[in-house]
Amino acid sequence: MTNTVAIHEPSPVPVRKANRPQWLADRTATQLVSAGLLAALAVFAVAGPLVWPDHALQDLSRFLEAPGPAEPLGRDHMGRSVVARLAHATQLSLVMAVLCVIAALLFGTLAGIAAAWCRGWVDSVLHGLSEVFIALPALLVVLVVSAIANGDLWTLCLGLALAQWVEYFRMVRARSGLVLAGPAVQAAGLLRLGPAHIVRRHLVPELRPLLTTMATFGVGSSILALSTLGFVGIGVRPPTPELGLMITEAFPFYHEAPWMALAPVLVLTTILIGLLGLRSKESRA
Amino acid sequence: MSLRLNNLVVTHGGKVLVEAPRLDFERGQPVTIVGESGSGKSLLAHAIMGTLPPNLAARGTLSVDGLSYDLGDQSNRRRLWGRTMSLLPQEPVLALDPTMRAGEQVAEGALTFRADKRGARRAADALLSSLALGQASRAFPHTLSGGMAQRVAFAAATIGGAPILIADEPSKGLDQRVRAELAQLLLSHVNGGGILLTITHDLDLARELCGDVLVMKDAHVVEQGASGQVLARPAHPYTRRLLASEPSRWRYPWMRSPLGVAEADAGYGPAAETPGAVLVSGEGLTKSFGSQQLFSDLSIQVRAGERIALSGPSGSGKTTLGNVLLRLLPPDAGKVRHADVLKQGRLQKLYQDPALAFPPRIQLKDALGDVVHRHGLDRARLDELMGSLRLAPELLHRRPGQISGGELQRIAIIRSMLLEPALVFADEPTSRLDLITQEETMRCLMEQVDRLDCALVLVTHDDGLAAAMTDRSIQLGTACPLPDLQYTGG
Repeated sequence: MTNTVAIHEPSPVPVRKANRPQWLADRTATQLVSAGLLAALAVFAVAGPLVWPDHALQDLSRFLEAPGPAEPLGRDHMGRSVVARLAHATQLSLVMAVLCVIAALLFGTLAGIAAAWCRGWVDSVLHGLSEVFIALPALLVVLVVSAIANGDLWTLCLGLALAQWVEYFRMVRARSGLVLAGPAVQAAGLLRLGPAHIVRRHLVPELRPLLTTMATFGVGSSILALSTLGFVGIGVRPPTPELGLMITEAFPFYHEAPWMALAPVLVLTTILIGLLGLRSKESRA
Repeated sequence: MSLRLNNLVVTHGGKVLVEAPRLDFERGQPVTIVGESGSGKSLLAHAIMGTLPPNLAARGTLSVDGLSYDLGDQSNRRRLWGRTMSLLPQEPVLALDPTMRAGEQVAEGALTFRADKRGARRAADALLSSLALGQASRAFPHTLSGGMAQRVAFAAATIGGAPILIADEPSKGLDQRVRAELAQLLLSHVNGGGILLTITHDLDLARELCGDVLVMKDAHVVEQGASGQVLARPAHPYTRRLLASEPSRWRYPWMRSPLGVAEADAGYGPAAETPGAVLVSGEGLTKSFGSQQLFSDLSIQVRAGERIALSGPSGSGKTTLGNVLLRLLPPDAGKVRHADVLKQGRLQKLYQDPALAFPPRIQLKDALGDVVHRHGLDRARLDELMGSLRLAPELLHRRPGQISGGELQRIAIIRSMLLEPALVFADEPTSRLDLITQEETMRCLMEQVDRLDCALVLVTHDDGLAAAMTDRSIQLGTACPLPDLQYTGG
């Protein structure tokens, strides 16, 4: 048996720190550092390709050139600028990952709310569909989709989104089901407040913290998945620079030019640490 | 056996939560502490047990049989638990382990449990049989009714033979019949030569236990004495106010029950003489959950301006009947018709726990603002209602979890009154509140009900409250006794 003492004291109203905007005052130091790291990467991904536009220009006479003032990361085995390739690859990874997550999140969330709201056959169909996707290995889904459409970038993105929507769907369906069955929504129904109120005041505030956390993890895992596919040679086609592909290409020359392999690894690590540090506590009701 | 408390002070930060200079407890003389929520009465019990939350600090000494214990050290009384003193916790349904059968949980409390498990189980079964729970020994807590769970918790608390029993709000959520049984149980402990300290805000329980009564307010004991004395001829103004807040002593202009009418001068409202139009009619209603039939072939009509109580013991289907009448739940058989005047949200419900009836992460001004916008109401109407329900406008800038239960229930009343309902269904709206808060909340509700002349259906297991607030009462669950236990094993 447990003995609990309840202290009847309403939880305190949050007090703002003086002279700091709310969004800043709510953040922890870890979150600020992580946001800084990610912002630096984003600048690199946006500005890098403008500074070093030519990632495919080969100069075999500068084969495996060591880093220097003109080429901060040297040149690769084909004499291409590593920093230019890295900038393009980072941009590609970030854009692709964000697109995947947006697609998966939108579809998963809408389907989840629809299933919890309509129940009945809508729920059965969507739930059955989600179970089919759970039974299939994610890699297989991606491979099948990209094989059908001959490995274009958008099919890769679509494949990853198809592999990821299920977790959003299942989480949103379970949470929304609880919220929609609760007395707060029942009261809103008696007050004739309409579906817009229920979505805006009940569902979204309840789902948002969870979805934000899942989306940050989702961006990380999409970037890893993309580079994994690149690493095993079935993702983005060469010569398009991609982080996983760059690691694979750099491996044979690891002893001669370790910076070539370490640079994309460093970018991946920074992205993941940044995303992990960014997530906030799940519930702050 | 004697128990004496000296100079107890419980503080949180710099704030004093409990201060008691000296309290003596003797065999055969039950002590009951009454007071409103937040008066520190529960903390006093936990300070004696040594189960205060870690962020609170206690000072003072406790002497048990001449041995003195420093109350500042929470752990030094741990070895007394079970054999010398034990606690009957609040809400036994939550305190029992849901994964263990009742008998096994009780057996764990026996002093011989480590050495002789079989003997401990036999002792537990014997104790449960003596509480008329012999068959419940193999049942899981969720299959027990509130009263049964309370008796199981009582068995678990007393099997160790502890002479000192502290009961913390033992009657919370229990109906009158079960409460009377509980009082008998507690008194049997006293008659067996035990010391009993009961914490409650239920004055009826205090009366049934007799003995001494301590009245606590704002961390201090304001009055103490024999219960006959304190509860009949109170000396302290606060005690008088506490007693006056019992529903049977209410005198308000909106009351039309025989109680009020008997003393009616011109000010008391007349009983509804001309029957109004039928708002809700239910015919041949039947509902059961699993094998348990809640009601069958029940016909009910609610007319405009009527005030009806749905009463009956816990688990008799009062709330379910209300939800069926509100068409929130389909009946198994029968039909519910609503009059056209109830369309457009003129049928409202108040919930037992108002904190669950508001979106938890949204400021109240937005939650209420949506009602105002959606129905094109005047914003001034909200401010006016806040004023007439004696609520500060700043409260609306908080979230539901950040204000007290009584205030939130009053805001729920405001929300339901914004649409000028023709019928309000109130599902035990004050069963979690103490007497004084209950009176304030019900007064606010009834002033609005009276002003709009709307019908009220009140679910309650408190007959006094039903008599004070309603004209007639529908009894549920008298015909069919409590359901048989469901067995989940051997």
